[in-house]
Amino acid sequence: MIARTPRIVGALAFTSLFALTACARGCTTSRPPIHINPSMDDQPKVQPQAASDFFYNGASMREPVPGTVPIGGLREDAAFFTGKRADGQFVATIPHPVDEALLERGRQRYVIYCQPCHDARGDGKGILFQRGNVPTASFHQDKLLKYADGQIFDVITNGTGLMAAYRWPIPPADRWAIVAYVRELQRKRPATATGAPADTK
Amino acid sequence: VTPTYWRSLAQIEDRPEFRASLEREFPEGASELPEGVTRRDMMLLLGASLSLAGLAGCRRPVEEIVPYVNAPEEVVPGIPRYYATTMPFRRSAYGLIVESHEGRPTKVEGNPSHPSTLGASGPLVQASVLGLYDPDRSPSVMQQGTRKSWNDFVTAWGQLAQTHAADRGAGLAVLSESFSSPSLARLSSELRARYPRLQWATYDAVSDENRLAGLRFATGRDLDLMLRLDRAAVILALDADPLLTDPERIRHARGFADGRRAGASGGAMNRLYAVEGVYSLTGAMADHRLRVESRQIAPFLAALAARIAPSAAGAASLAGAGAPDVDARWIDALAKDLLVNRGRGLIVAGERQPAAVHAVVCALNTYLGNTGKTVSYHETKDAALPSVSSLASLVSAMKGGAVQTLVVLGGNPVFDAPADLDFASALAKVPHLIALGHTVDETSSKVEWHIPRAHYLESWGDARAVGGTLSVIQPLILPLFGGRTPVEVLGLMVGGQDRPGYDIVRETWKPILGEGEFDRKWNRVLHDGFLSGSELPEVVPKLTAQPFAELARLIGAGAAGAAGSQPAEAGSPSSLEIVFVPSAALHDGRFANDGWLQELPDPLTKLTWDNPALLSPKTAEPLGLASGDLIRLDYAGRGLELPVWILPGMADGVVALTLGYGRSHAGRIGSGVGFNAFTVRTSKARDFDSGVRLTKLARTYPLSATQNHGSMEGRPIVRESTLSELQSQQPSSQPAHGSEQASRPAQAETAHAGDSAHAPTGGGVPGKLGVFADEPHHFSLWKEHAYDQGHQWGMTIDLNSCIGCNACMVACQSENNVPVVGKFQVAKGREMHWLRVDRYFSGEPSGSPEVVFQPVPCMHCEDAPCEQVCPVAATVHDGEGLNVMVYNRCIGTRYCSNNCPYKVRRFNFFNLTKNTPDILRLAMNPDVTVRARGVMEKCTYCTQRINRAKIDAKLAGRALRDGDVRTACQQACPASAIEFGDLRDASSRVAKAKADRRNYALLDELNTRPRTTYLAKVRNPNPDLEGVA
Repeated sequence: MIARTPRIVGALAFTSLFALTACARGCTTSRPPIHINPSMDDQPKVQPQAASDFFYNGASMREPVPGTVPIGGLREDAAFFTGKRADGQFVATIPHPVDEALLERGRQRYVIYCQPCHDARGDGKGILFQRGNVPTASFHQDKLLKYADGQIFDVITNGTGLMAAYRWPIPPADRWAIVAYVRELQRKRPATATGAPADTK
Repeated sequence: VTPTYWRSLAQIEDRPEFRASLEREFPEGASELPEGVTRRDMMLLLGASLSLAGLAGCRRPVEEIVPYVNAPEEVVPGIPRYYATTMPFRRSAYGLIVESHEGRPTKVEGNPSHPSTLGASGPLVQASVLGLYDPDRSPSVMQQGTRKSWNDFVTAWGQLAQTHAADRGAGLAVLSESFSSPSLARLSSELRARYPRLQWATYDAVSDENRLAGLRFATGRDLDLMLRLDRAAVILALDADPLLTDPERIRHARGFADGRRAGASGGAMNRLYAVEGVYSLTGAMADHRLRVESRQIAPFLAALAARIAPSAAGAASLAGAGAPDVDARWIDALAKDLLVNRGRGLIVAGERQPAAVHAVVCALNTYLGNTGKTVSYHETKDAALPSVSSLASLVSAMKGGAVQTLVVLGGNPVFDAPADLDFASALAKVPHLIALGHTVDETSSKVEWHIPRAHYLESWGDARAVGGTLSVIQPLILPLFGGRTPVEVLGLMVGGQDRPGYDIVRETWKPILGEGEFDRKWNRVLHDGFLSGSELPEVVPKLTAQPFAELARLIGAGAAGAAGSQPAEAGSPSSLEIVFVPSAALHDGRFANDGWLQELPDPLTKLTWDNPALLSPKTAEPLGLASGDLIRLDYAGRGLELPVWILPGMADGVVALTLGYGRSHAGRIGSGVGFNAFTVRTSKARDFDSGVRLTKLARTYPLSATQNHGSMEGRPIVRESTLSELQSQQPSSQPAHGSEQASRPAQAETAHAGDSAHAPTGGGVPGKLGVFADEPHHFSLWKEHAYDQGHQWGMTIDLNSCIGCNACMVACQSENNVPVVGKFQVAKGREMHWLRVDRYFSGEPSGSPEVVFQPVPCMHCEDAPCEQVCPVAATVHDGEGLNVMVYNRCIGTRYCSNNCPYKVRRFNFFNLTKNTPDILRLAMNPDVTVRARGVMEKCTYCTQRINRAKIDAKLAGRALRDGDVRTACQQACPASAIEFGDLRDASSRVAKAKADRRNYALLDELNTRPRTTYLAKVRNPNPDLEGVA
């Protein structure tokens, strides 16, 4: 104790000098702010999307093991989850009754996920096309008009061409709602050739 | 009868150190600063570190977001998903539901629809998730200690396979653990077809071999049994522990507790008799417990059989068998009870007992009509049955040089094989050794090729659970260290190709499920975790032999042997009986590197981190032994030095050694902890034997028990009654004053009889509670809250159901990121368990004292003493009645802990989680704060689960229902002793439980108004046995 005290006092004096001269506020720095009391800010647990030094790719989030089935993840209704029948053909119609609620849900999801490229009318002239000249398909071409409902679902699920897969952000039920809404756009197109449908501003 | 409760021998003997520890309130050292640092030093260091902080460290941590590159469908970060899987354990399989956070398993629960767990779990199951993230797991394939890849091994095996193809497997041997698995069974038979001269041995250190042999003797078939304790009115456990060490403990506990609860709510209650040498959890739950040495079980059973079935074939031979030193009235009453309850009785013999005992038990159960009702049999299928003789013949082949290649398919025989076989030296004679192991353990460190074994949470596999139900093992995560499963290693050996376990298991299941629509059926099995309707048909055993005659022969041989080798000197220190018991926490040592289990107090001794020899007080007395004294144990030419622990209720003349400790290569947690009892266990006497000699050494050994910590000053905190009292008592006529004390059945430390309930009697602080009971209104200094809005959470713990198995403790530890502190901190009373299970003895310590268990979490008092003293409002009440901790506000005064009458608060004296390895961080529950140094913590009623359930209900657009919120302890409890829910919902289970007459609050007289209350224990003694010891 006696032997140690001078050293500790020395260290104290030295460090408090630095503490006083170090710029606490008003100085710019690229380093994170000083944080004297850690107060459990950084806990040794793994929060969602956190990094982990344990795994070689640096991510703590792991992909589910291929072939496993979580509870509630049993997808026995293949038509609903893949848009395909057991024989691999696309289902012709939405495996779900189409009503106002579904269309409204579809409109909401469409505005969020589809409209930036496909635009409100489905002409493929969305903001990305206008600004970035990203080629986007129109729903009103013959090829797409002939698509089975299941095929549109499949495109949303897995993407096509430049279009990315939307299976992660959009759950299957919402994908079917979007399909229903896209069908509605296609149906209304001849009637509203001069402007957008009233309900899709 | 006036039960006087005491917690340990030190208390009843009133030793000065116990008085001191009682009066100290906290154990010596628990409230002092760490060793070697004085308070002044501490201030200096604090000052220095504060100013240093400004200089260098203590920048706000930089946290990066690392999203999925290819986001899997349906995984929403922060929302856990659940998978059904199966944990294989010996020949049992536990159906589980595992919580996965972004693809990392963090918490294990029972699968409610699986017959082996019924939604509950146990300590081993709960702690298994920590085994996945064990930092000491082997990181790669090793050849003679150097790292190799799996492909190197596949190449090496190709060469070995060619050699053995030439000799048709004559030099090839496999040593496996026992299993019940369709895939493993298929592969092993294919392997035998490929190598017809292959030698296959199956060994388990702790096994049901004796029972299988007994049933084989009695019926001529390999049969497994399934106990249905819920249907039994009278249960006799003969040296058996179906509630703790039996692999099917979870469903046994559920069934037993169902029978107890039924009685307490007005129905019929089961009655449990236990006859045993080592105090077991089953014995602790027994209404009548008889202490006899393990070798006296056979004579006891003979005497019982002679009374139950005097006319059965061969029973006449039992008449002459020497009856043990047991009060005949005891056996008479038992026999009468079993005969009256024909078809509703159940006799269970322990795995330690010899085959003849199991055969007679089978015969008696059949004679009494219990077979098919309380116990059912079915064929063993897809199983490798444990056999010590197969190991012995393997070892002799190894010693003879006949084995060129040995594959150890899991297990740790160098550690746990019988000492007389000397497995390690036999191993040295085998040129090519291959071992599959979770760590580089005792066996793997001696072999040529070590292959890391995949944890079950990383494996594809399958198993047959109790009753034969086909269950599937589904991985939650890819192997962290590239581990392989026994299925994959066997697959390589059979086919010569490296095939993924997924393909092999699916191949096995194709004939089971049928080719048509296989994928759909297979996915359904994965989703459910098991194939419903796949249980094996019941077999009605036909007795082909004469078990009674065999038992008589066994007893005769035993008597002759004892007379020959040991001059009759029963009870003298030189002729003690040695009994080997599996550890409640580590089993046979396979869980030794699991900190949660090492620190889990033994249910009866409350010891952590050690396995002393257990003795009864009367056995220790002539040897002058006290708990903690070191002894030298000499038995059959082998010796072992270890400490002793005096456990009241052990049979006199018995020395119990707990297996599984004393590992040398377990890892940084388990290596060098405890004493290796396998060093004195031989293949001749793997269960028990006489002729052990103890010599006291002049040294002591520190043992860390949690039992005296937090003593409640002898106040009556456990209450118990008997069934007849409960039934004779009118529903309470007392005015309902304070809902929690509507009625008081018999109270601890006062006489049971009503007339003395208020009269002070001897012992403890009697009558104190009675005084308060007379006072209908508690007086409070505080303005009391009404708590009449929203949810009001509350809990009940039914002491009548609780079996004291500690499942709740580990579940709480896993759910709430509770750290492990180590042996020396436990000795200082600094263990961190939020939920402890107190154990109280009552009765004569040198006789057969009874035991009551009492789980004690935070009581969530409405008038919480802790809140009133916190200077910084770090512990406050919320609107739903939760006593919550705000960790960030806590400055560590510990006033709250001082003021807590229940001593349920835990303080972080050290930064126990600071240097958590990266891999262990993965085991933490992301929904719960990991506390730092200087912070008080305690049970939160799993507030994170409450909030999760509220969010889920809101998203689903409905109100919260009863049962939506289940605390971790409640969910794990195999006895369903814990109820939790909304007290304002009169239809909730917890509200109904609180309306029970047995409901009482702990330390009610303090008027803390606890939200957690207890239901008194009810015993069901046989009136015929009144006054019979």
